[in-house]
Amino acid sequence: MAPSIDLSFLTVQVLSALRQAAFLFLISSGLTLIFGVLNILNFAHGALYMLGAYFIYALTLHLTGPAGFLIALLAAPLGVAVIAVAIEAGLLRRIYKQEEIYQLLLTYSLVLIIDDLAKIVFGPEYKSIPKPDAISGAVTIFGGTVPVYTLVVLVLAPMMALVLWYLLYKTRTGKIVRATSSDREMADALGINMSALFTLVFAFGAMLAGFAGALAGPARTVFPGVGTEVIIESFVVVVIGGLGNLWGALIGSILIGTLETVGIIVFPEFEMSLIYLLMVAILVVRPWGLFGRPLKVKALSDKNLSMEAQEISPVHYSIHPLIRLIPLVLLLIVPLVAGRFYQFLLTQILIASLVAVAFNLLLGTTGLLSFGQMAFYGVGAYTVGLLAMKAGFGTLPALLLSPVFAALAAGVIGFFCVRLSGVHFAMLTLAFGQLVYTIAFKWYGFTGGDNGMQGIPIRPLPGGIDIGSTKAMYYFALAVVGISIECLRRIRSSAFGSTLKAIRENNQRAAYLGVNVKLYQWTAFVIAGAFTGLAGGLYAIMEKAITPDIIHWTKSGEPVFMTIIGGIYTFAGPVVGAAVFVVLNSYLVAWTENWALVLGIILLVMVLMLPGGVVGFINEKARGALSKRGWVRKWVFSK
Amino acid sequence: MGFLQVSGVVKSFGGLRALQDVSFSVARGEIRAIIGPNGAGKSTLFNVMTGLFPPNSGEVVFDGERISGVPPHRIIRKGIGRSFQITNIFPRMTVFENVQVALFSHHGKSRNAFGLARRYPTIAAEALAILGQVGLAEKHEISASILSHGDQKRLEIAISLASRPRLLMLDEPTAGMSRFESRETVELLRKISREQGLTLVFTEHDMDIVFGISEKIVVLQQGSVIADGAPAEIKANPQVRKAYLGEEIQE
Repeated sequence: MAPSIDLSFLTVQVLSALRQAAFLFLISSGLTLIFGVLNILNFAHGALYMLGAYFIYALTLHLTGPAGFLIALLAAPLGVAVIAVAIEAGLLRRIYKQEEIYQLLLTYSLVLIIDDLAKIVFGPEYKSIPKPDAISGAVTIFGGTVPVYTLVVLVLAPMMALVLWYLLYKTRTGKIVRATSSDREMADALGINMSALFTLVFAFGAMLAGFAGALAGPARTVFPGVGTEVIIESFVVVVIGGLGNLWGALIGSILIGTLETVGIIVFPEFEMSLIYLLMVAILVVRPWGLFGRPLKVKALSDKNLSMEAQEISPVHYSIHPLIRLIPLVLLLIVPLVAGRFYQFLLTQILIASLVAVAFNLLLGTTGLLSFGQMAFYGVGAYTVGLLAMKAGFGTLPALLLSPVFAALAAGVIGFFCVRLSGVHFAMLTLAFGQLVYTIAFKWYGFTGGDNGMQGIPIRPLPGGIDIGSTKAMYYFALAVVGISIECLRRIRSSAFGSTLKAIRENNQRAAYLGVNVKLYQWTAFVIAGAFTGLAGGLYAIMEKAITPDIIHWTKSGEPVFMTIIGGIYTFAGPVVGAAVFVVLNSYLVAWTENWALVLGIILLVMVLMLPGGVVGFINEKARGALSKRGWVRKWVFSK
Repeated sequence: MGFLQVSGVVKSFGGLRALQDVSFSVARGEIRAIIGPNGAGKSTLFNVMTGLFPPNSGEVVFDGERISGVPPHRIIRKGIGRSFQITNIFPRMTVFENVQVALFSHHGKSRNAFGLARRYPTIAAEALAILGQVGLAEKHEISASILSHGDQKRLEIAISLASRPRLLMLDEPTAGMSRFESRETVELLRKISREQGLTLVFTEHDMDIVFGISEKIVVLQQGSVIADGAPAEIKANPQVRKAYLGEEIQE
């Protein structure tokens, strides 16, 4: 590039960065506002953005001309707000008393549902939204060609920001919102009508997302799933700025908008990785973001102790060892009578089970929700792929190294993540997961980029055991997964496991037992990462191919799904959940294109009706009745 | 120098001085109350003394070792137990597990990820013995979340005792209890202190309890110590009477 940057180039880039920042701010201000008041991290915020874009698309089919466009631009966000009211009043409100992860999961189920509904209604293809002639051309500013629509965005977005500022700082309701955001208990004690306030803020935040979608739609395009990309960017923005802080959202948007624009020019391959790296750099210095504050030490209030709605009781006794052998025996016999399809299906279930059980060491046992778990799965899979293809490693040595590399990755990522808790932890793991994803996706020279790797060679195990056939692969996976799950079971029932549970229940009290809470959380994170990596290694051997999709954050939702379906506070739950998930996946894909919709609905129903999961439910009901009879108790359960 | 020595502790939050040059000392085996009107700085002092946050200046020395500014998980290792104003237990674990997990930590077993938790017979016996001391042995199998408030407080004391403290710090041990439960808890604390030579430092609102159990009392007002002495001296102290507007200490 010439030493003196030319003015026209600079103008174009600055305006483009500002436009990007404007979109980001509109989305993340709503996200951060909702978090500040409701204490909910709204995963569906990206989906609401998408709805805003689809609504303006649908409206502009009928409303043409500048006036029509303006009406559509205003009506689309209002439509989103109406939907938001229905979501808040109909669904979210029912689980405010639950632990925060359930609220997060509910909004995640809405992502699956809304995305697929959009696909049904509007079709899977990309839609572009026509702009009226008056704002569709380009103008020349300082010699640079700038789309007129960019200028429109740069006028309208700050106007919306001003409206937001006025509402929050100059109106009574706005003052209440800000007060609630900084001290929720105090506001509650002052007798503010919380449920009306929550509905209002959720609808208003959603409207901002809808407005962002309606405004960005004509500049970008809209397609089902666009929200899952948008939400990650705005997560990064609010993590950088500080969750719940509007000024943070503003500064974060400008930083990310600028970095994305500069990144595309300077490092076109790693533009997305750059924003995650910036985030990490900021969090090293300020773990709670630029303007964020640590959440108050959460003392256990009576509400938490009595837990009317949320008593999902962890189980205190385990099944008799002999009974536990039954599934193992069945798993050994079944492939002898079942065909290759079922052998393959069972292998998938085994691998998914290992992921879910490892994941649940974090969620159910330690109380940490990781939304980037599949990053370690990816590290494990790529370890096997790269070692086998580029270094000529045997299959077994490559597989044994997969948990090692995954543990190393988890060690580094965990170091940053365990400094945070709750929702912050979930977001940070998610962002780190995406960092790993972008690297795998773009690094063509090493990982094969978005093509991934095909034809991973499977070499015989030591002793000449060939695992090339489906049946042999099944037994190999059974051995590896069986040993791993037994290890995880022992860890969970060990003194270390008890200590993790104590941290989950009350980390402050655990610290006052002399437990170094962060160190234990980190250790659990590394163990979970290592076993997830091993599962990833198995996956690479089973599929003989890898694509970076396996790391994408939406995949990290899968172990969450499995665990919730099966039962978060049970050991066997995640295995049952994995089986249900894989079977549903295999059959639903053949039966309907909209299997994400089905999954979303199942997750939604589980969160609302059966938060303890299937196994948790069986434990509660059936076991209680069964164990009244002495001999059943004696033979089925061991103390 | 006392067993526990607080010297010149200052703590401010922003511009607000919560503690101003607080000094006093506690002898080994003593039962010591820290009292004062609301906002006098009792909880702040407690948090400084147990490592939740460091003082701006001054220090806390326990048995010859400086403990101010040391994080909670290390302070506990030095032989200090703490209970909280709000009940602070592990709700969705059994009563037994609550104490067991504390014992794992005390005996350095928390890191053992392969030995099954139930394979520690001596720790199990010890847990039951401690639960027996506080009168919860019969309820050891039930979930801690369904205990009564008084029982949860006892459980919390049991958890604190599991780390075999030489000094037990109790922040309002009878908060929220019925009169009957309070009296029982006080008796329990007195018994434990006598049997084990345990030093007790506690804050309390209920003056009957304060004067009934403590051997020495330190009085805080607006972050400063205004009196320090035996119960009789404190009752006679005009400054203390003034601080409490003569309401509760009059006989």
